[in-house]
Amino acid sequence: MSEVATAVGLAVEGLEVAYGPVTVVRDLTLNVEPGEVVALVGANGAGKTTTLSAIMGLVPAKAGAIRLGDRSIAGFRPERVARAGIALVPEGRHLFPAMTVEENLKLGTIGRRSDDGLAEDRAWVEELFPAVRDFSGRRAGDLSGGQQQQVAIARALLARPDVLLLDEPSLGLAPKTVESVFEALTEIRRRGVTVLLVEQRAQLAIGFCDRTYVMAAGELRLTLTPKDAGDSARIVAAYFGS
Amino acid sequence: MSRARTAAIQLLGPIALIVIVGLLGSASSGAHQIDFVNALVQTTIVIGMYIFIGNSGVISFGHISFVAIGAFVAGVLTIPSVVKPTLLPALFPLLANHSVSPFASLLIAAGAGALFALVIGAPLMRLGGLAAGIGTLAVLEITHNLLRYWEKIGPGARTLSLVPTTTTMRVATIGAVVSAVVAYGYQRTRAGRLLRATREDPAAAAGAGVRIHGQRLGAFVLSGAVAGLAGGLLVHALGSITTEQVYLDLTFVTLAMLVVGGMNSLWGAVVGALLISFLDTYLGYAENGLDLGLFRVNLPDGLSTVILGAIMLAILVLRPSGLTGGREFRIPGLRRRATPAQPDAEEEDGGAAPAAETSA
Amino acid sequence: MSNVIQYIIDGIALGAVYALAAVGIALIFGVLRLVNFAYGELITIAAYVLAVTSNWWLPLSLLAAVASSVALAVLTDRVAFKRLREAPPATTLVATFALSFALEAVWRLVFGVNGRSADVLGALNTTAISGAIDVRWVTIVEVVVGAALLSAIAIFLRRSTIGLQMRAAASDIRTARTLGVRADRVILSAFVLSGVLAAVVAMLLTAGSPLVTPTLGLEVTTFALVGVVVGGMDNLVTATLGGFVVGFVNAVLGDALGADLRVFLSSFTYLAVILVLLLRPGGLFASRRATGAERV
Repeated sequence: MSEVATAVGLAVEGLEVAYGPVTVVRDLTLNVEPGEVVALVGANGAGKTTTLSAIMGLVPAKAGAIRLGDRSIAGFRPERVARAGIALVPEGRHLFPAMTVEENLKLGTIGRRSDDGLAEDRAWVEELFPAVRDFSGRRAGDLSGGQQQQVAIARALLARPDVLLLDEPSLGLAPKTVESVFEALTEIRRRGVTVLLVEQRAQLAIGFCDRTYVMAAGELRLTLTPKDAGDSARIVAAYFGS
Repeated sequence: MSRARTAAIQLLGPIALIVIVGLLGSASSGAHQIDFVNALVQTTIVIGMYIFIGNSGVISFGHISFVAIGAFVAGVLTIPSVVKPTLLPALFPLLANHSVSPFASLLIAAGAGALFALVIGAPLMRLGGLAAGIGTLAVLEITHNLLRYWEKIGPGARTLSLVPTTTTMRVATIGAVVSAVVAYGYQRTRAGRLLRATREDPAAAAGAGVRIHGQRLGAFVLSGAVAGLAGGLLVHALGSITTEQVYLDLTFVTLAMLVVGGMNSLWGAVVGALLISFLDTYLGYAENGLDLGLFRVNLPDGLSTVILGAIMLAILVLRPSGLTGGREFRIPGLRRRATPAQPDAEEEDGGAAPAAETSA
Repeated sequence: MSNVIQYIIDGIALGAVYALAAVGIALIFGVLRLVNFAYGELITIAAYVLAVTSNWWLPLSLLAAVASSVALAVLTDRVAFKRLREAPPATTLVATFALSFALEAVWRLVFGVNGRSADVLGALNTTAISGAIDVRWVTIVEVVVGAALLSAIAIFLRRSTIGLQMRAAASDIRTARTLGVRADRVILSAFVLSGVLAAVVAMLLTAGSPLVTPTLGLEVTTFALVGVVVGGMDNLVTATLGGFVVGFVNAVLGDALGADLRVFLSSFTYLAVILVLLLRPGGLFASRRATGAERV
């Protein structure tokens, strides 16, 4: 991956998602500028994962526009979204547990638009996540949670995405491991990959990201910047306020 | 009051349809009466399957073995005792030396179906999903294999004939109505409601203290009784039967009737059974030339089955949750009382809608 | 002693045939979660095509059989299953029944009820080894072709990119798609591959006994499907082993049971099936690690 910032942004406008009669996301508009790292925080059931799923084409959007750079990707099937340049690291990681780490990584390259630079990308993710190299022959399901998370992010990066969607990367991980994941994120940002991150640990996210959106009951409630990281009162109010 | 009225309407719909078919059958010419009797007996079989499959959501390929046992028990116990030594030389003395009235044989058939369901259900009801499907299929295969080759309990590969033909139009109608009442009564009981809860969300139901195994077994036994009864009605309608008549083909056709009608409601079971049964019959007639007044249809032999299969497939593709959508009977235009808070999912929902995914 | 060897040889041969059918069923189940009873009709059509083309040049006849079952596999998906991707499991199951039922009627209509002779590979139905044990050529071919084809599929699934994608889709199609795996292409590959396997099964079956009847495929499919569930259907390897075991047990019991008990062969087989299901509901070969490791 070149260090040149030919980064591509992601824009969501007026997104609405419903499961049957229940509207889970309503009139959601958010913007991730090229190369930015933006977080989406909120309580359980706020609609964060659903938002990522809708961007990825995993759940149909009832209304709204989704743009990758200046290309509309609303209504695309997931495989087409992936090939357009968005990669998702889902909550719970979803490695293929019976396959080896190597095979999982190989599947990560399916969505690449070109095989140019694959070797460099591979070297880069191995540097970023040594576990990927050390355990390449092991069954993915046998790895620890932290190692699995590393493989999952590495797999996503090997698609050389313009935009990386990360769902709860710190969930269930030891503090030390969380730290290493965020260190990796710093590197990923430096490479010019645009990141939209869903995170339960709001303090962590707000301090780290360029901007943090707070979601509640399917709507965006608040936009915070790193300087708000200490303002717990505002965060709590946005989480639980009406 | 209103709730009771809804219930009455939901039960009266299927019953009215059954009775209308019975009356039409009585009014039809002699040669066609057997088609109506057949349709009513098949409806009884499908209602029996519905009691278990519809309420539990677990597919069973084994119900035709209850029908088979009901049919053979009722048949063997009612053929004239003088011909038993010639027709069934190897029979167990218990079966060889006893004969009962056709009516009593129906009750015994129902009891035999229930008993058999209890014996195989006690272990098998622990299974769910495909394992349950294959387990019940294994039961059907074993039942068929034993009935076909074990001559101590029946005629083996030969035809069991000379069975008194006592399933008249009236008996067939009453049989189907009684089954419908039993089925509807069951689904309104606490046990029926609990079982339906396990169908919608097994984990939640188990968490709420519902004993899934026990509830499924109860429904399985009850449905075994109705299927056994249907088997008795069947053998007394036909007067003769072979093991092949109560095997895979019947299993497939009755399952298709249930699913095509909508497997989550009694109304679906009855509509599906009657529709497919008559379709089958009249497509069969069309092969021999069917006079439709203005023109005559004459299908090549065998095409009727192709058409029947294609129609069922088309219905399933166009209406995956069945013709009735798995809903109980309602009078069109008669609005339900407004219940904005609780749409009574148990009755309204086909249960076919995929469970909403939980979002973070 | 020679008896036992005979049983084992016959068991392996029939097990190989059922294992091939089981792979075909498990491939479709893996990718689509579809229990395809109509799979048997793919075997049947290939067998009928062998019968109809029995006076053609042999390779052409075999090729025609493969083409017919692949075409039917893809056609059934396009016409029926594709529209039922979101339907409840009971509906898709009954739909595959309905399809099987209709196709069986088509075979009756086109080829008659009495069966046709597909004597294409009849030369194989001759004795290769005689004496203490009897081995026909077809038995040898069944074992060799079965082993070769299963290995080829294993290599294809492990080494090829599309094979890797098929395994990923079988494990978790949602995640596979987010990685760019094209669902349509994987599904098409699975149907094509299952069609090829069905044709090979038809060749082996007709080589052993050339009579083709409308229900030929259904009988094999029922046993193979049972094997798939008994082995553990979430995994191609366990499913294949399950198919093999059912075939093996069937053949061995068929040889070993006396004439008076042989008629109860299917009772014994299915009783064993029930016991396995009760004792190991996840499948005979499912590892504890594999069951429940993935969240739903």
